[in-house]
Amino acid sequence: MSTALAPASATSEAARAAAGILQDNWGGAYTVPATGLYPHQWSWDSAFIAVGLRHLSARRAQVELDSLLSGQWSDGRLPQIVYDTRRDDDYAPSATFWRSADLPGSPAVPTTGLVQPPVHAWAAWLVHSQDPDESARRRFLERAYPRLVAWHRYLEDRRASDDGLVAVVHPWESGTDNSPLWDEVLAGVPDEPRAAMHRPDLKHASEGERPSGKEYGKYFWLAERYRDHACDDADPGHPFVVDDPTTNALWARSELALGDIAEVLGLDGAPHRSRAARIAEALEGLWDPDLEIYVALDRRSGDQVRKATVGGLLPLLAPGILPPGRSDALLRTALGPRFLDVASTSRPLMAPSYDATAPDMDPELYWRGPAWFNMMWLLLEGLRAHGLDDLADRYVEPMARVASREGFPEYVDPWTGAGHGTRAFSWTAALVLDLVAGREGRP
Amino acid sequence: MSAEQRTTTHPILVQEQHVPGRDVEEKFGVARSWGFDGLELRGQGDYALEARLPELRRAYANGVLMPTVCVEMSHFVGAFDRDLAEDAVRQMTSQLTVMAELGGVGAMTPASYGMFSRRLPPFEPPRSPEDDTAQLVDAFGRLAEHAASVGTRILLEPLNRYEDHMVNTIAQGVALCREVGNDAFRLAPDTYHMNIEEADPARSLADAVEYVAHVQASDSNRLEPGAGHVDWALEMSTLRSSGYVGPVAVESRLSGPAEVVLPRVPSLLRRHLA
Repeated sequence: MSTALAPASATSEAARAAAGILQDNWGGAYTVPATGLYPHQWSWDSAFIAVGLRHLSARRAQVELDSLLSGQWSDGRLPQIVYDTRRDDDYAPSATFWRSADLPGSPAVPTTGLVQPPVHAWAAWLVHSQDPDESARRRFLERAYPRLVAWHRYLEDRRASDDGLVAVVHPWESGTDNSPLWDEVLAGVPDEPRAAMHRPDLKHASEGERPSGKEYGKYFWLAERYRDHACDDADPGHPFVVDDPTTNALWARSELALGDIAEVLGLDGAPHRSRAARIAEALEGLWDPDLEIYVALDRRSGDQVRKATVGGLLPLLAPGILPPGRSDALLRTALGPRFLDVASTSRPLMAPSYDATAPDMDPELYWRGPAWFNMMWLLLEGLRAHGLDDLADRYVEPMARVASREGFPEYVDPWTGAGHGTRAFSWTAALVLDLVAGREGRP
Repeated sequence: MSAEQRTTTHPILVQEQHVPGRDVEEKFGVARSWGFDGLELRGQGDYALEARLPELRRAYANGVLMPTVCVEMSHFVGAFDRDLAEDAVRQMTSQLTVMAELGGVGAMTPASYGMFSRRLPPFEPPRSPEDDTAQLVDAFGRLAEHAASVGTRILLEPLNRYEDHMVNTIAQGVALCREVGNDAFRLAPDTYHMNIEEADPARSLADAVEYVAHVQASDSNRLEPGAGHVDWALEMSTLRSSGYVGPVAVESRLSGPAEVVLPRVPSLLRRHLA
């Protein structure tokens, strides 16, 4: 009896601690990613947080997304950050940097002009599904759907080109800030912004675990450039325009979710599913047959960035709409030595963010190797979408243990589980909670 | 959203006592700098609002938006004491005249405040429910006639069960509106009281929207919006989707210094009203 209960008690202890973090990081209308390092509302963080928060309070999870969606611009963009002006000196670039109120179509709250990967419609669907009655009572989908449609329309009209894929115009937009995917394109970006750089992030995490000063210089330069072109997506000389596999895979997955949402509201879901299929078709432009993974594409040069990152596996989330053979190939890559390495005795606890076989892989440096709970959660969802529930379930308990032991860190060493970055990180807590609840919910 | 739109749809107001300034014009300037569209006046007894008319007329001429007044007296139109009740009718009549001159939405009052609660000893009020209703129908009927004649509205704010024993829910307010049968008598629900009295505040607002001419915003703990757990996303978006375009005024205690806590409020309300 004790052996059967041991893992369950470890996971329930982790779930209890995760719930405590989500309570502590709740600010009244949304959850901060971390109270020190990230004091505002972040776009894709909130979506992942809502997925876990739904197990504590369906209403609170809906409010989390309501808050984010109410920061939408009239052009449909959902901003990367909705600022809490009380904390405007705690994160850079600040609301004062963006001056969003000066731009036409900006919302009632100060935000960035940049965006983050569109995981929101899927998160809204999961939050709704947790408690459809409460969702109906609060008319949650009725309110969210038109905003989510406008968000996807922004991506399609303003960010997609003839290749049918959405481009990010800043590494921050990918959510994977210093991923090796951006190195070549960033090489051509100046690293000296006009305004002096301010790095409050280094008060909360060590320098070796954060992007370098040179990288930050490029980030600020690009952000200034985008801002100074009125965030209008019409700057022909913008030096960073890249098709990102994570963004596009989540766009496709969220279009499928919009189809589900539309049908619950008595609308036609088919146009959303057709659009998802078109995105999946367009993703072929990012397929690398040698690496057997989706990569990035520098839209200015037309060149693929041939590197394997965990985001390149995420089209696994949309199995029904990929070309024949793609799922098998992607699964080979996911389970092979670059990521989960399931056949090895030294297999990682979680998939690294970057190709484990790459010579420049660094298991401690942000998006250049460490494992992230959101990416692993997405990957496990991708495995489940292919019927690999048993395999996915095997990762839940070790992930919960590591998260709990390390204080719910921002990211971890994929093999040792050693924690890095900030602690009490909201999406780590939320997604551990969701994984544990999901496993316990299955027979 | 432009400033002009803000003044025509869902203007966000703050009660004047929270804003520093020597007169309403100065207070209006500060309120605007905090992100509000205008002020809600406070109407004390002894014709105090009428006595402020020179100041208010000047401010109105200079563009100050102050479309509502909230009564601040110790007796109300539902008072058990007939003399006090009649004084309250006279005071409200005077306030309506002032508000009409300021192009106002109306003057608001509860049926009573702090006079009796059926939830506290001695539990049974000295007047029957039928007589309560008769007194309110008579008082609000006369006030509505005056309001209609000068071109504004008398607004009833339902209070929670611990503060008034006559009109606690929006449905009770609607019933009274129907009985009075004058369009110049409308409701001014307050989100704090609704959070105690209504099973589903947003649904109650939507169901009664044709009778709602003004809304007061206060959080579940009677502090400024954002300081408690009222469902602002749902309640404000419901007002918008129900077609409500009137003002939303912050009437609350404050969780900290006004200049710190109040500037956060307009965007919180506006983002869900947009």
